Amino acid sequence: MNRAFELNTGISNMKDLMASDLGPYDAVYLGNPFCRDYEANFLERLEDLRAGIRHCRGAGRKVYLTTYAAPRNYFLPQIRRAIAVAAEEGVDAVEAHNLGVVRILHAEFPGLAIHIGGFANVYTDTGAAVLRDYGAARVTPNYELSLEEIEGMAENTGLELEILLHGKMPLGISDYCFLLEYEKVWGMKCPDLCQQDLYLRQGEWAMKSVGKGVLSGRDICMLEHLPRLVAAGFRSFRVEAISEDPVYRRDIGQVYQEALEHTVSGAYQILGDWWKRIQGHAKVGLCNGFHFGQSGQLYIGSQPSAGFGETSASSVEPLSRTVGSQLKVIS
Amino acid sequence: MVELLAPAGSIEMVEATVANGANALYVGPKGWSRRRDAYELSDEALREAVRIAHARGVKVRAAVNTHPTSQELPRLLRRMEVWVRDGIDGVILSDVGVMAAVHRTFPDLTIHASIGANILNDEDICFYREIGVRQVVADTKLSLKELRSRREIEVGVEVLIHANKCYTYLGKCWMSPYHRLERGQDESGKDLFKGSPNRGGLDYRVCLEAWSLLRGNHDPWADRVALKNDAFFLLEDVPHLIDMGVHTLKIQGREYAVDLIGRMIKFYRDLIDTYSADPHDFDLGPWKARLARIQAQRDLERAKGTLDLFQEAREAVQGCQR
Repeated sequence: MNRAFELNTGISNMKDLMASDLGPYDAVYLGNPFCRDYEANFLERLEDLRAGIRHCRGAGRKVYLTTYAAPRNYFLPQIRRAIAVAAEEGVDAVEAHNLGVVRILHAEFPGLAIHIGGFANVYTDTGAAVLRDYGAARVTPNYELSLEEIEGMAENTGLELEILLHGKMPLGISDYCFLLEYEKVWGMKCPDLCQQDLYLRQGEWAMKSVGKGVLSGRDICMLEHLPRLVAAGFRSFRVEAISEDPVYRRDIGQVYQEALEHTVSGAYQILGDWWKRIQGHAKVGLCNGFHFGQSGQLYIGSQPSAGFGETSASSVEPLSRTVGSQLKVIS
Repeated sequence: MVELLAPAGSIEMVEATVANGANALYVGPKGWSRRRDAYELSDEALREAVRIAHARGVKVRAAVNTHPTSQELPRLLRRMEVWVRDGIDGVILSDVGVMAAVHRTFPDLTIHASIGANILNDEDICFYREIGVRQVVADTKLSLKELRSRREIEVGVEVLIHANKCYTYLGKCWMSPYHRLERGQDESGKDLFKGSPNRGGLDYRVCLEAWSLLRGNHDPWADRVALKNDAFFLLEDVPHLIDMGVHTLKIQGREYAVDLIGRMIKFYRDLIDTYSADPHDFDLGPWKARLARIQAQRDLERAKGTLDLFQEAREAVQGCQR
């Protein structure tokens, strides 16, 4: 595929890759960055990684390897092995969230393109510039930055920046999986526990748990804001679906593939059942993350139903309020 | 001799930590550190802190351990020129861009990589050393075995002996601003991000709430789920850390009462001196009882602080205050 933009997503293992329709996507990040024990993680199953890369290549997709977001010393040998396999297979880039891994890539794999992941904490233009000097070809700015800041970073550094377009925004990573405490209670063991679509709820607050990873409860949704993103020159977009099933990946990808094609051709519009499909997959509702400089769980936009928020499980009524004079916020 | 590094959230705390035997202390310049502004110092107070500390041979570090906005960097460098002129001995930083810029502008200033930089492996340390860092704060989750490997690398290592071990890696968490973020500016035009510790605002500690766990967001699986999060004091490890040759033992707590911090510093000063004087005949027994009393006071203060933060986290966002 050779389009004016790149829509990409992440897939953890061979099972998910084979069950996923890559049709809407231009590129795929292989590997689960949260946990070494994630079921058949590409980063630990190197033959699967090799086959996964070939599968994506065969489907005409770009393929990237992601790496662990919080690697300790004892992770590094396996990370080096996974990168070596990826290099042999000719991946298009390796994503690093850890600056030690960036250093390894720069020093030991000089031919490989480096993408900097969202956990690398790139908050400043000068930070991005430091990483450019270490070979970074693309940067995902820290999720806490507003679009205004990201636009400034793109202009001031000239770096290609990747934007989180839709999906569960990472909120944190741990070395400890609290779900393991429930193995006996639920009669279920790792690695099945973290794949149960689990949400942490506290009143109106919600976060998704994947054990060591904490994600936003609401789905980031930038469908309404594509014209601004495209006008600002962004062309690399992520659907963050590492914790989602293949149906989610397909449906959300199809919506954004169509929407982006319309937007880059100058004919942006929201069509047919797009909202219905998006909302059908957002169990807690939608938000914009930090893109507009507000609390990450808020949704700002003109679609009154976009932040529909609460599902039957919630005892909390949606809260509406007005921000500024124009925008309706439903939280 | 290992350095004992103390927090100083006020001039009174500067005096207490110096009097009780700290070798160095750190202060947060107002608007630029990872704490509520009540525990940060104005430029005038920072100057006074340096005067008090240096009179007793105690070093002072400025904690600028947040990620500023890109536009703020020139302002930060101008402020740092003042702090350097006023005599700070080092600066604690989190942002790689800020580190590189500070190193270029003030090549003789010692840069300490904050725990917020989340340095987890030896390659990380080499990266930070290459951009000008001379000492790193070890993540609280690292084991003694992992710390031991740091000796092979020419960089100072700092270990927290009183701090909080979050569920997530510190510096890699934005749960708090996801739930509540309040943007504003102070009187000098400095951007404020109340709710985002990474960006210099307070942390609402939402992870400490009692969460319910629901499958598919509707099927209840567990109540009162706790995301493991402990405030800790190291005791048994301190002799090992001294033997390993770590450079600095650090105590967190700019937000605690002055007398509590004074007691903590005195405790660890006595512990370090006693062990160092006679490592072979050292008995931890009496120290455990003494630490338990300090811990009880700390736990009370922390619990009250957490409840206040939970309440604050549910306030509607309005106005521009920090």
